[in-house]
Amino acid sequence: MKLAYYPGCTLHGTAREYDASTKAVCKAADIELVEIEDWNCCGALEAIFDKELSMGLSARNNFKAQKTGLDLVIPCSICSHNLSRADSAMKNDPSFRKKIEKALGEEYKGVKLKHLLDVIVNDVGTDAISKKFVKSLKGIKAVAYYGCLLVRPSEVSKFDNPENPMSLDNLIKATGADCLPFTQKTKCCGGNLLMSKQDYAFILTKKLFDEAKAAGANCVVVACPMCHMLLDGQQTMIEKANNTKIEMPVLYFTQLIGLAMGLSEKELELDKNMVSPAKVIGAIGKGETKAEAKVQAKPAEAEAAE
Amino acid sequence: MIKTSELDQNFKYEIAKEPGGENIKKCFNCTGCTVGCPVTEIDKNYNPRMILRKALLGMRKEVLTDDSLWLCASCYICYERCPQDVKITEVIGAIRAIAQREAKAGKIKISNTKPVFDNLFIDSVKSNGKWYEAGVSGTFMLKTKGIGGAIGYAPMGFELFKKGKLSILPHKIKGTKEIKRIFEEVEKK
Repeated sequence: MKLAYYPGCTLHGTAREYDASTKAVCKAADIELVEIEDWNCCGALEAIFDKELSMGLSARNNFKAQKTGLDLVIPCSICSHNLSRADSAMKNDPSFRKKIEKALGEEYKGVKLKHLLDVIVNDVGTDAISKKFVKSLKGIKAVAYYGCLLVRPSEVSKFDNPENPMSLDNLIKATGADCLPFTQKTKCCGGNLLMSKQDYAFILTKKLFDEAKAAGANCVVVACPMCHMLLDGQQTMIEKANNTKIEMPVLYFTQLIGLAMGLSEKELELDKNMVSPAKVIGAIGKGETKAEAKVQAKPAEAEAAE
Repeated sequence: MIKTSELDQNFKYEIAKEPGGENIKKCFNCTGCTVGCPVTEIDKNYNPRMILRKALLGMRKEVLTDDSLWLCASCYICYERCPQDVKITEVIGAIRAIAQREAKAGKIKISNTKPVFDNLFIDSVKSNGKWYEAGVSGTFMLKTKGIGGAIGYAPMGFELFKKGKLSILPHKIKGTKEIKRIFEEVEKK
């Protein structure tokens, strides 16, 4: 499989470990990534008050992808939302299309684009990718955190259920790790309020940790650099604001499946996460899965009853 | 109390003309947006249904100056669940666009700092083609929280820098002229 690749600004900055682990995992899965030339920012959520600008900035990247003749893969949920929306507006809104074609002096034919998780679980397939797993991640007790734009709105992101997505849960389970029930899986981390209303963003993110902890998780798995910025990047600030310890490693899903593929911690840039993942990596191979724990607990309970 | 004489009947049409605001008139005020809203969950004064209702009634100034307008986290839960396909997240964006224009013209004052950050972000994309994280965040802190705020942000910035995650200088793409042309085209109404 050969795909055009749009990393987006964060993957060349604060989310560099997502870029590194994406490249490492794709290489191991025989997916060749061709980074599109001279790409630009999609406008993120900061351009939401100017819909045409947001879609116009995004559309330029789709033009660049079109030149490669390949389908486009995007690891960031916000970028993937914006570029998808731009692609459909270019196809369905003639007046918008005219403006952007005029600005760029080219004709738009359209490009097929997908979020990286969609490519891994659907185009490669969870079963097929799990054949590349050489190491069981038994001992990891994860919760899958999808956040907002990975699965919403479903008119833009069509690959999973917007209310109760399972694709990431199933991928995590395929590594041998436990994936625990998590009712907060599509709740907002407040990322877009981080700069202007930090206290609200921190309350929203703290709620995610509270449930992840209550579920018995030893890590959170994400597929969006904005979610990661809040859960990983801001975790010590949230600890300070609440005068508590959270100490919850937050892995990109590419880092998790990279470990199952036997890729090195260095390749996956696990040293770049702000919260050290040492604890969760150390848990691999130790402890038992939930199912085994139940089986073992039963005789013990029986003994106690005697 | 609502004074009908002070209502601007035209406000909903003004919003509907804005990109993203087209579907506002479809709202029948069912409250579905508000019961699922994560911000409402932590702040009972934040009520997206009320923003829409006030906008439809024509309470223009109140809607444009209410801090609530800037509390939407753009999580798209309401957008997903709305039975009338109002596209609430984008309607909020459309109302924000009107508020920003009014503020620029000196007609209203916006106390929330969200548009300050958004504009710094967009300006950095306009000149570089990519967003300049260190510059935008630093300037934002300085503008909104003063020198103390900027210093408070420094340790976080330094941690990111140590990990090779933060660039001191902006990255400029080659096609900045194309970016400028996109700005020019979409600014034409």
